[in-house]
Amino acid sequence: MAFAIKVNGNTHSVDVDGDTPLLWVLRDVLGMTGTKFGCGMALCGACTVHVNGEPTRSCITPIDSIGTSEITTIEAIDATAVGAKIQRAWLDREVVQCGYCQPGQIMSAAALLASNPHPTDADIDDAMSGNICRCGTYVRIREAIKQAASS
Amino acid sequence: MIIDNHVSRAAGLRELSSASGLSRRGFLQAGAAAGGGLMLSLSLPFRNGEAEAADAFVPNAFIRIGSDEQIVLTMPYVEMGQGTYTSIPMLIAEELEVDLKQVRLEHAPPNEKLYANPLLGVQATGNSNAIRGAWQPLRQAGGAAKTMLVAAAAKKWNVDPASCHAQSGEVLHPPTVRRLKYGALAADAARMPIPENVVLKRPENFRLIGTPAKRLDTPAKVNGTAVYGIDVRPPGVKIATVAQSPVVGGRIRNVDDTAAKAVKGVSQIVRLDNAVAVVADHMGAAKKGLAALKIEWDDGPHAKLNTEEIARELDQGHPSFGRGGAEYR
Repeated sequence: MAFAIKVNGNTHSVDVDGDTPLLWVLRDVLGMTGTKFGCGMALCGACTVHVNGEPTRSCITPIDSIGTSEITTIEAIDATAVGAKIQRAWLDREVVQCGYCQPGQIMSAAALLASNPHPTDADIDDAMSGNICRCGTYVRIREAIKQAASS
Repeated sequence: MIIDNHVSRAAGLRELSSASGLSRRGFLQAGAAAGGGLMLSLSLPFRNGEAEAADAFVPNAFIRIGSDEQIVLTMPYVEMGQGTYTSIPMLIAEELEVDLKQVRLEHAPPNEKLYANPLLGVQATGNSNAIRGAWQPLRQAGGAAKTMLVAAAAKKWNVDPASCHAQSGEVLHPPTVRRLKYGALAADAARMPIPENVVLKRPENFRLIGTPAKRLDTPAKVNGTAVYGIDVRPPGVKIATVAQSPVVGGRIRNVDDTAAKAVKGVSQIVRLDNAVAVVADHMGAAKKGLAALKIEWDDGPHAKLNTEEIARELDQGHPSFGRGGAEYR
């Protein structure tokens, strides 16, 4: 059936089964490939988007659970103040190695700062522990979050 | 893994030595780019036989300078996080005399003849040989392009090219305080003779190589615009996923795809001897279709193979070790 979903401020009508994960609607139906597939089981965090500001694993979020919620993806996170600060800090600190997990890392980090503007190391570890980086950029991620928090 | 490494390293050294005896004349080919710019392509023959058989050498990297001032560098190596998309442009920009912030990068399309790694002979990135392969030829490509741009400016001004120099994407003639941007010279530069020899800068004159640089690929990786392999979307592309025989050597006995075909978005079920693919409009439908397949496998000759069996066969295969003598368990 058709679902009307709001992504980055724009409403899209998508005709898919209700149990279709949001990830594949974003990537394959709407062509927004910034959100990444990693594991498909909410174990790695690469697919993280915001649903009404909450960091959400899109790979296990069925499209029929979205309703009128507002979805924000990596493609539009720069429109939020914390999103732009996080991206700037990511570039300043050269966080990225291969970069594949970074859209998910940035979405989790932006959600953290939005709810907790001055996180402690423990807060950062807690919020970011579900985002895996095979390159091991964790130390720079923490530094960049702290820089964004203090900027 | 260690054995593989030795093999490829030895092969790389052989290619390197075979390439080093060739003339520079064949390395460079120039032509007018669409839109009236200078296109300098660089070629490095990677096998003696081919190099001698063909008059023209196949290029493996491109510089494109448009009259619109765009300086586009085509990257023959894949960025996998090691900084290739910054270090390779540094090689070209060093000799071309442009700043890294002035260049735009494009990834090379699949074309083995144009973009083969000179050390491997195939279009591949890895084994820590992108810089080793590109070090000489990409600096030569940059230097040759700069020479032609300087020659074009000198001709326009009717001055000695030796009295001009290039800097930050411009050719300057200090005695008369004249300058022209590369883009303005691109069309004329395309008609300049290809230099027979390119004198490369001495290391003490490097202004980019050996200095820290911000990575050029990262902005696209923090805003979702970077295109990874999984993100490529050729026109009309479909999405598929595959179920393979769970046992090596196994085959399909029977597939009931009635339920899979009924999944919304599934367009085709492709049956092979040892695998079934579900083709769909999106991966959600493909995975749902795959889960709906009822596949009966014939596990084939290895159906009963297990760890104990493998251990027993190893013992039998190496009687000289004696039982327990080989530490494979």
